[in-house]
This record gives sequence, C-alpha cells and structure tokens, in this order.
Amino acid sequence: MAALVGLRACFSALQLSSPSFLHSSYKLCAVPLSRRTFAAEAKKTYSRDKPHVNIGTIGHVDHGKTTLTAAITKVLSDAGGANYKKYEEIDNAPEEKARGITINASHVEYTTANRHYAHTDCPGHADYVKNMITGTAQMDGCILVVAATDGQMPQTREHLLLARQIGVEHVVVFINKADAVEDKEMLELVEIEIRELLTEFGYDGENTPVVIGSALCALENKQPELGLNAVMKLLEIVDSYVPLPKRELDKPFLLPIEGVYSIPGRGTVVSGTLERGIIKKGDDCEFVGHNRTFKSVVTGIEMFHKSLDRAEAGDNLGALVRGLKREDMRRGMVMCKPGSIMPHQKVRAQVYVLSKEEGGRHKPFVTNFMPVMFSLTWDMACRVTLPTEKEMVMPGEDTSLMLTLRQPMVLEKGQRFTLRDGNRTIGTGLVTEIMPLTDDDMCNWG
Amino acid sequence: MSLPFLFRVITRDILKSNICQHVQPLHTGCQLLAADKALLMKLRKSTGYTFINCKKALEKFDNDITQAETWLHEQAQKEGWSKANKLEGRKAKEGLIGLFVGDEAAVMVEVNCETDFVARNEKFQQLVKDVTFATLAHHRNKMQSKTGYVKSVLAGDELSKLRMAEGASLADQVALTIGRLGENMSVKRAVTVGVPSEWHIGSYVHGAVSGQSDVTMGRYGALVIFQGGKEEERSTLGRKLGQHIVGEAPLSLGNMDDLPCGESETRLLPQTFLVDPSRTVAQFLRGKEARVLDFVRFHCGETLSEERE
Repeated sequence: MAALVGLRACFSALQLSSPSFLHSSYKLCAVPLSRRTFAAEAKKTYSRDKPHVNIGTIGHVDHGKTTLTAAITKVLSDAGGANYKKYEEIDNAPEEKARGITINASHVEYTTANRHYAHTDCPGHADYVKNMITGTAQMDGCILVVAATDGQMPQTREHLLLARQIGVEHVVVFINKADAVEDKEMLELVEIEIRELLTEFGYDGENTPVVIGSALCALENKQPELGLNAVMKLLEIVDSYVPLPKRELDKPFLLPIEGVYSIPGRGTVVSGTLERGIIKKGDDCEFVGHNRTFKSVVTGIEMFHKSLDRAEAGDNLGALVRGLKREDMRRGMVMCKPGSIMPHQKVRAQVYVLSKEEGGRHKPFVTNFMPVMFSLTWDMACRVTLPTEKEMVMPGEDTSLMLTLRQPMVLEKGQRFTLRDGNRTIGTGLVTEIMPLTDDDMCNWG
Repeated sequence: MSLPFLFRVITRDILKSNICQHVQPLHTGCQLLAADKALLMKLRKSTGYTFINCKKALEKFDNDITQAETWLHEQAQKEGWSKANKLEGRKAKEGLIGLFVGDEAAVMVEVNCETDFVARNEKFQQLVKDVTFATLAHHRNKMQSKTGYVKSVLAGDELSKLRMAEGASLADQVALTIGRLGENMSVKRAVTVGVPSEWHIGSYVHGAVSGQSDVTMGRYGALVIFQGGKEEERSTLGRKLGQHIVGEAPLSLGNMDDLPCGESETRLLPQTFLVDPSRTVAQFLRGKEARVLDFVRFHCGETLSEERE
C-alpha cells in the first residue's frame, strides 16, 4: 500500500519537474558545480495544480517534531516532492525564539501525490492564538508527535488544548522513537494512553489514526519498516484523513459594496471585490446593511469595461442591478445571495490588541471603551464590554470580549475586523458568536 | 554545520548502547515483565514519569511500586540537574508573576520559562508557589526583630539558595521542574515588603491564572503601599491603584501637588487615573483621604534596567 503511494508520488513528481529537470541538465554543462543548484532553484515556479493544505506538528519538547519534519522532507525529496531540509535548517532555534512582531508562520513546504502542504510550527500559545485571530496561519490538521520512550508529557497536553481551542478538528498521531523501545507491548501502552488523552480533549480517540515509526531511522536510512515506510504511511493517512478546506467558490456569493454609480440609460451599478462565491447574470440578490434591505436581480456584470456572464471570488467587478436607485444604496452595504447573511448589532469576538511596538496604544482599555470597528467595506462605532473576570486589557494581549454596534451591520461568525481609535489601530479580531440584543444595550446608546 | 548533527548522532548512539546495556540483564526476567503491564500503567499514571523510566524502576525493584516510586523521584532530581545544565543559557522570557499578601507582609516573585505552554502547566505553577512561600518564610525570619517599613529586593542567585519548608533548596526544585517539563527555567527576582500596622498593602495581578487559590499568578503584578482610606473600601482601593500601576506603568511616585504633563507622564500621582479618566491619581486619593507611599510593578519577561546597561 505504502509502496503504491510512493510510486504515485514519484510519478507525479516526475511529471511536475520534467521541464525544469531538462533545464537543469542543460545548465549542468555551462555552470560550475557549486552554482548549479541555485540555477535550478531559480527556475522553479510555484505550481497550483494541487490543493493546498496547512499542517503542523505539535508535541512535547524533544519528542522529535523537528526530526519528523526533516524526515518528511527527506522521504519526499527522494520522490521529488520537497527539498530536503536538515534538522539544523528547520530548527533555527535562536531566530525562532527571539520573537518579533509576527512569527515565522511556516518555512517548510512539501508535495505529496495529491496535495501541497505548508508546515507550521507552534512557538507559543499566545503567538498561535494571535495568528488565528489575525488570520496569518490556520492549521487544517495537525500531527501529534509522541515519543514511545516517554509517552504523553506535560506539553503534549498543552499543545492539544491549544489545537482544540483554535479549532483544529483533525489530529493524526505519530508515535516516534519506536526504534528505541525494545518491548512492542510498551508501544501499545503508549498508544492506549494517547487515545485516552485524545478522548479527554474531545477528539475521537478511538478512530484517530496512529502511526508507529521512527523519524531518525528515516533520516539515517535504517530499518525501513520503522523509518521510510512509516513516514510514507503517515503522509498517506494525512492525505486521506485531513479533509480539504472548503473553497471560497462553493459558498453563497458576497459582494461588499465599495461604490455605487448611476449610469444614464442603463441603471444603477454597484462595484466591489467579490469576497466569495460566484455571481451569474440573472441571479437574485439582496442588499443588506445600514438599516436597509432590498431585493433585486443582477442584470449584468462587467469587469474592466467588458461584460461577462459569471464572476468568481476575488474578481473586482461592477454589477448592474434592476430597479434600484443610487440613493438607495451606499458603501458599506453588501450584495449577497438572498438570506445568506444578516445584519447584527451585538457580537462576541476574540480580539488581539496590538502592542505599542506594533503600532497600537501603550495604554490598556476597560469596559465601555468606544473604538470604531472596520470590517468588509463598512465602519461603525461600537462599545466594548469585557468579560466579568477581566477588568482591563493590556496591549499585546488577546481576549474575548463583547462588541455592541451603534447600528446593525452585516456580521457573521468567522468574520474578521479591525478596531481603531482616532488614527491608531488598536487591534484586530474575529467574530466568534452572534449575540441577541437586549433592551439594556439600546438605552445605552441614548 | 554538520558537526552538531554528527555530535547528536554520536550521543544518541551512546545513549542507545547504554539503554541496551540496561536492558540486557533484564531479558532474563522477561516473562515477569509481561505480567506487570498493569503495574507499569499504574506507576506511570500516578507519577507521570516517562514510560522508559517507570519500566526501569519496576525492573530494578522487582515490581515493588513504592520503592520504584522513590527511586523515580531521586532519578528525576538527577536528570533535572543534567537537563538544567544542558539547557542553561537558553532564553527564558515567558513565565509567571506570583503574588501573596499576608498580614503586614507581601511577596511578589517572578519565575521564567521558555514558552507560555509551560507557564500554563500545573507543575510550573506549583514551582511559582514554592518560590513564593520560601521567600515569604525568609522574609518572616528576617523580620522577627524589626518593625517599621522594610522593602527588600532579591535577585535570582540569592533566591536559589533559599530553602523550602521540606529542606530542599529552591535551585533543586527548579532543576526538578526543568527535568519534568523539558524547558529552561529560572527564578528571576523577588520583592518582599513588610509594613507597620497602620499601613496597608494593595495588590493587583493581571492575566491571573485560574485555579490558584492562595498565591495569585499572572503576567503583570503590582504592590501598592498606602495609608488612610476607609476601612471597608481599602481592598478595592488597593486593587484599583494596583490596576492603575499595572496599566500605566509609572516609574516614580511624584508629589501630590505635581502638575500633570500630558500623555507621557511617568510619575504616578499626576497621571490620569485609569479607572476614572476625569481625575488624576492625586485627586482620586484626596477624595478617598488616602496617601500612596510606595509601589512595585513587575512585568513578566521585562528587561531590568541594570541588565540593559
């Protein structure tokens, strides 16, 4: 089975790299040996023919996260799907530890037979939560590395807790250092223990795939059943167990309105960048926001003064709509598939507050602080309510809080926004829950 | 570049051969081992030590679980020290501030570790607690003869020499925790405050860790020494002042009559009061008929002024 996958990886990689391969062999004659690899590297372009997935390794320190990553790149580089990175290249510890404003989200990539992966490391809990909020790096799945010699250790728990918290649904377990354990039954005990742990954290411990192997063996070309084959098996399982993230195109369409124009003889045109989904000529649409809603039909779509039948997420377009006046609409409203999105006034959100070094405030804020919230193309004054156990929020922290808007605007779970005060960005956040509005909230706005 | 790699390979090989040697004589007792899977599981659950060590311990003492446990503890101490020596020099910038306020005395300590994953760990929090109480005991010893206001700042190396109630030194305790958690840790600093009976100590810890009852822990901590104020309002007054100090990070106290100079004010008294921005701290204190005499602020991971120089 594993061999089959290997063969497939080999084949696809060959297909992939054959033009560049030709090039490099051509270069071979002209360029001195030392510079050859650079020339070949410069020729490579990122190809988008495989779906992209973000993956990470989590686990206790010294259990072999970095060794496993090195082993994966080594195994795949034999098949042409990656550049082999040595342990030292991945574990650039001093730089990784000296944390700056943003963290080095991922610096390893590799390709299996079916997918392209970016590999993420977890430098710290707060860093990762911050990344989740700002949207720098999401993990679609992760590989939990446990050393067979140790079993689960304190940080295994903390990392798993983090994975749960940031919403990683799919975990694959790799029991590492199996070569250092004489007794096969001990491996079973480790496996039982890790399944219990997964269940404790709300994962499906019974059915989570577990691979037993040794990353070190794979690196040193020893004991192929624990080394090479185990790593191949792990990759195969990751390929099949971690599902592809839902693509933006499959979602109902959403166009945040940037501008509204009236064109004599044609009608009203709204412009903007299509956030997600697909719009076709003749689609029903709904306009929501700023306390108004209208229904209409898209009668024409234009991009760069050329009309087209269908626009996809990411396209910057103008849409001609039937029967609406320019005054009816304004920037900040959205055009969407009818019923797919609603305006809301009160949400719970997870917010990262920028530190002074990142351009934020140097002061903390407390409940009833009133920043301006920016999201999609709208902005609106809002009021902050901190959770009861928190009295204030310091710059550089992340927190959960409640935001009440002065007027209902288009908001949904998972939407990102920015908070600003005067001319300064205070923080950035992610909507986690829509809250019902109480009478109390209304009278506070006067 | 390949040198450290080579080194690692070699050490691993040595380790492996070591392990093999350990295991060799045990092969004779293999059937014995198979019977005690349950014991191994039990020992591992109760102590949390690594599988391989638990197994070694059981084999060494013929499945005597109590003896195995004591051996494991000793081993952990040894391994902790070797680990601590290995990790020495790795930067530890995360961690926790531990704060304890008793009658007429208060202690605030900072213990560092490498990542905040570890700071969330119970074992690390237990270490912070141990350090706090050891410092408090040290303070009480010194204070027996004296009365009046005493504030003493202890640096890391002085703290390591302190002994806990059970007799082990703090340095040993730190090494033990390093062995368990696998990260470099250090006790960075501590401050102890003793006040005469008519003075009061207010405190605030920001980002407090839940689940710790007697010692509060978090990323920021502040102690305020003040006088006056109404009896029933004192705890909230101290808390609010502490909160302000954590939030606005004043550097000096200033005078009650100082005029505030804008946003960048670093003296406590003329600063705009965080909880009520319409007043300065001095005005707030006048309203409460209280006086602030001194304050201390700890921010976990901050570079001290001496270090910067």
